[in-house]
Amino acid sequence: MSDVVLKVNDLKAWFDDFNAVKGIDLEYKRNTINAIIGPSGCGKSTYIRCLNRIHEEVAGAKISGEVLLEGKNIYAPDADPVEVRKHIGMVFQKPNPFPAMSIFDNVVIGPRLWGERNKKNLEEIAYKSLQKAALWDEVKDKLHQEGTSLSGGQQQRLCLARTLATNPPIILMDEPTSALDPIAAAKVEDLMMELKDEYTVIVVTHNMQQAARVADYTSFFVLGELIEHGLSSDIFTNPKNQKTEDYITGRFG
Amino acid sequence: MKLSPQRKFKNLLFKFLLTLASVSVLIPLILIFNFLLQKGSMALSLDFFLNEPKPVGELGGGMAHAIVGSLTMVGLSALISVPIGILCGVFLSEYRQGKIAAILKFTIDILTGIPSIVIGIFSYLIFVVTMKSFSAWAGAFALSIIILPIVTRTTEEILKLIPKHVREAGLALGLPKWKVILHIVLKGSKNSLITGVILAISRASGETAPLLFTAFGSMYFSDKLTEPMASLPVQIYNYAISPYDDWQRQAWAGAFTLILICLGLNISARLFFKRKELKKFFVRKS
Repeated sequence: MSDVVLKVNDLKAWFDDFNAVKGIDLEYKRNTINAIIGPSGCGKSTYIRCLNRIHEEVAGAKISGEVLLEGKNIYAPDADPVEVRKHIGMVFQKPNPFPAMSIFDNVVIGPRLWGERNKKNLEEIAYKSLQKAALWDEVKDKLHQEGTSLSGGQQQRLCLARTLATNPPIILMDEPTSALDPIAAAKVEDLMMELKDEYTVIVVTHNMQQAARVADYTSFFVLGELIEHGLSSDIFTNPKNQKTEDYITGRFG
Repeated sequence: MKLSPQRKFKNLLFKFLLTLASVSVLIPLILIFNFLLQKGSMALSLDFFLNEPKPVGELGGGMAHAIVGSLTMVGLSALISVPIGILCGVFLSEYRQGKIAAILKFTIDILTGIPSIVIGIFSYLIFVVTMKSFSAWAGAFALSIIILPIVTRTTEEILKLIPKHVREAGLALGLPKWKVILHIVLKGSKNSLITGVILAISRASGETAPLLFTAFGSMYFSDKLTEPMASLPVQIYNYAISPYDDWQRQAWAGAFTLILICLGLNISARLFFKRKELKKFFVRKS
């Protein structure tokens, strides 16, 4: 197995005529956390949504370029987006547990609808996923309550558990903590660090301290272009590009 | 800061007007109930609910055949139009960009506005004229055309309450779109959908015009869908314009029963009513 799990070649994305992502080339190494930072409207959300083919669900969306997952292009004409998304999971900005559905059903919906019918196996999956998402102790006595009855931070960890239940090698996170209070956000951050052993995480964030704390690598985007990419330690202490320096020191953005 | 007398007066005036408007909505409802109860209760008896009409001149008899007939035709029409209506609603809400969706939406809007008597004539031409007989089928068909646009629009509106990012979360789990619609969107709005369907059915159960010259009405129990069938609204209409006191009393009782059925449907719909909670949840989240 090569060290690079995801490789992006000249990725461009449009909303109708608006070119939101303007040719990105990047590589992601296995078992790393990769942050994407940049000012609002810089195309980082659109970019990350291209990595699991969710961007194309929006009306007027257009994409060109290649995204190689273990060497295979997920935009190849015969690639199935449903199959791609089984390997690249996503956690969204707003906690979005499925309505009118119990905590248990929320967690196991992926495997269940992929065909897993055995109740014991599903219980095992729910237990493991909720453990990994550090939510088990808080919900073990109320697995049959609705997922929407939880607090915002718990809901976000429920969504993470739901993604973990499908066991994707890569997990995308689109500003996963921006709707949470600092304590709930810190919990999700801790989780990212733990997930690194088994997964590759790509996270969009507005919070530069967060990127500096958790990410091994950081990419800085401005207006749909990649300005700088490298080890977080380099980006945050010794940026090569003037724009990056301006942004991380708060003079621009 | 003190309220000026002028402001106080305006405030009072508008509060008074609003209260007046609310009360004027309540008054007809209370009057109708009161009226029906007074006039209808005399003819209400076990006999009324269990028997078909007796010949003119003989006292007693009831509207059991019309109650059964109404339930049959309304039930049939729901069986026809609820699945189609829900599918159309799903199409409008989940695939709304296409040209077909725009045409469908326009069609449904027009269908909603067609007077029910016109729908009755349409069904008359299609079923009664070609089959040379009034029939329960023709009545059920007319009712189903009345229910169809209501179910479609309600379904569309309810499904739109589920935010886009919930659908995306489903897709992101590697689920095909149809599974997301069926297991997440439709399942998540199940309670509201049931409510919408019940309200549409209760609307149809009070329709008279489309049944007048389709199912026509009858004085006997009928178990054949190809023959005329009695229904509560038509039976009430026929009895109410008859010259016999006993029949007129029964018409009142029939009206009372019809209201009870509609009220029962509405109340059971409200028991399913979780839509408010659903709304509250999404307002809080977004």
